Amino acid sequence: MLTKNEDPPRGPSICFEMVGLCLSNITILQDVSFTVKAGDMHCLIGPNGGGKTSLILSLLGQMPHTGRIEINWTGGTTIGYVPQVLDFDRTLPVTVNNFMTMICQNMPAFIRTRKRYKDIINNALRLVSMDTKGERRLGELSGGEMQRVLFAQALIPFPDLLILDEPGAGIDSVGARVIEEIILVLKKQKVTMVWINHDLKQVKQMADAVTCIHKQVLFSGTPDEVLTTERVFQAFGTTSHGP
Amino acid sequence: MVSIYNSIMPVVQRLAESGWLPESFKYAFVFNSLVAALVLGPVLGGIGTLVVTKRLAFFSQAIGNAALTGVAIGIILGEPYTSPYVSLFSFCIIFGMAMVFTKNRTKMTTDTLIAVFLCISLAIGACILLYVTAKVNVHVLDNVLFGSILTVNELDLNVLFVISFICIFCGLGFYNRMVLSSFNPNLARVRGIKVIFLEYLFILMVTIITVASVKIIGAILVEALLVIPAASARNLSRSMRGFFFYSATFSTLSCVIGIVIPMELEIPVPSGGAIILVAAFFFAVTTAIRRLRRAYPALGKI
Repeated sequence: MLTKNEDPPRGPSICFEMVGLCLSNITILQDVSFTVKAGDMHCLIGPNGGGKTSLILSLLGQMPHTGRIEINWTGGTTIGYVPQVLDFDRTLPVTVNNFMTMICQNMPAFIRTRKRYKDIINNALRLVSMDTKGERRLGELSGGEMQRVLFAQALIPFPDLLILDEPGAGIDSVGARVIEEIILVLKKQKVTMVWINHDLKQVKQMADAVTCIHKQVLFSGTPDEVLTTERVFQAFGTTSHGP
Repeated sequence: MVSIYNSIMPVVQRLAESGWLPESFKYAFVFNSLVAALVLGPVLGGIGTLVVTKRLAFFSQAIGNAALTGVAIGIILGEPYTSPYVSLFSFCIIFGMAMVFTKNRTKMTTDTLIAVFLCISLAIGACILLYVTAKVNVHVLDNVLFGSILTVNELDLNVLFVISFICIFCGLGFYNRMVLSSFNPNLARVRGIKVIFLEYLFILMVTIITVASVKIIGAILVEALLVIPAASARNLSRSMRGFFFYSATFSTLSCVIGIVIPMELEIPVPSGGAIILVAAFFFAVTTAIRRLRRAYPALGKI
């Protein structure tokens, strides 16, 4: 599924210019401006309620924002999105394979999975080490397993821009390692990634750039430049999200 | 469809006269109600899986109540009290659409909003019924509330066929997308799914199938057939395939048994009530099976 592809970057660059968002007279985002370079893995950090998810939804065109968000596609235009959670009744008889089938095809998942999608689904699940759990019900999965399934769906079709809304939250160590490995592969393929991440250690190790959002941009740059102790304390105050 | 109906009916009547089928099958109203049951059962059972998945059981109850008001409006406007379809469809569709429209524009939780609309609908119905009682015997409304196989005519069947076709067409075409939209609307939108459009479409489907079911199951009880078979199916199934097919099967069996048994045993109960009681029986049995499977996991493999 993953093919070696060096320069130029397959992912787009993204330019946020004076982005603002106001919902029910509450300012969520104000004058947010920064750039995500093509093929970069760009992390968004910041305190909870700071507007990171709203910024991502604005990027996806799902929020009535002001200002300008420009995506400069260089090749394909496929967006993969890894949401935080699925909102469903955990007793529902929907298996992992059912869910992946619903992602791929229009024919109802209760009839069958088309043959051409079976391999695609198995490959995506294999990448996140979930291929042996295809017949598990979604409600029986642990938080980490669910995150891996949500990650797998974002790989179908293979994305040029991958947007991750805190996939590491509540994930187990095995799941975290699996996701890190895939992200490194995607990075090599120069897929542009925008990743909301609270794990500052991971951000330092993996990100090409990081932007801290708390209504506004508090700082933006490479992790080595901007992730100083003072700035992190300034951003998170006395909360537990230390580096 | 009408030609199929006209060609099958004489065959069934001959089989009934020659003793191969119960004697009651030679009556047109019995045949009509069974045809309605065989069409309605799978459709309601199938849509029921979506209703349960999208957690909209309470919504279908609101539409059922709106149907009562729709009938009352129809009678006031001079439509025949046995089939006031123009008012029924008009009022229920406006009611359903207004509910979704309001939901998408307020921050109210769905259950609160549905409760508000349900009460408004009942209040309008109660007020109009006062005038209706001056025009027709109010007991006629029992048929609308609880269903009656005696009143199912060819017009009802034709309405049912058309509505069922629309629901099957839309349901099969958009099933996956409707489920995904309820799991995570943002993810669905990224994947190009028109979440709001599908929300309206689904509400429209539930509304029109509810109205089409009013004559045989009854306005008050349609909701039960959208929910109970799907809940029974959930007790037994481990995947969407089982969920859908068990639900359609339980729903169809409930409709057929609920019509045939009271007729054969000459028990004077409304068809809707009998159908729901059969569905409730399936629910009780499947719940017991589920508990047994939990207590003895080896049974789960059977």
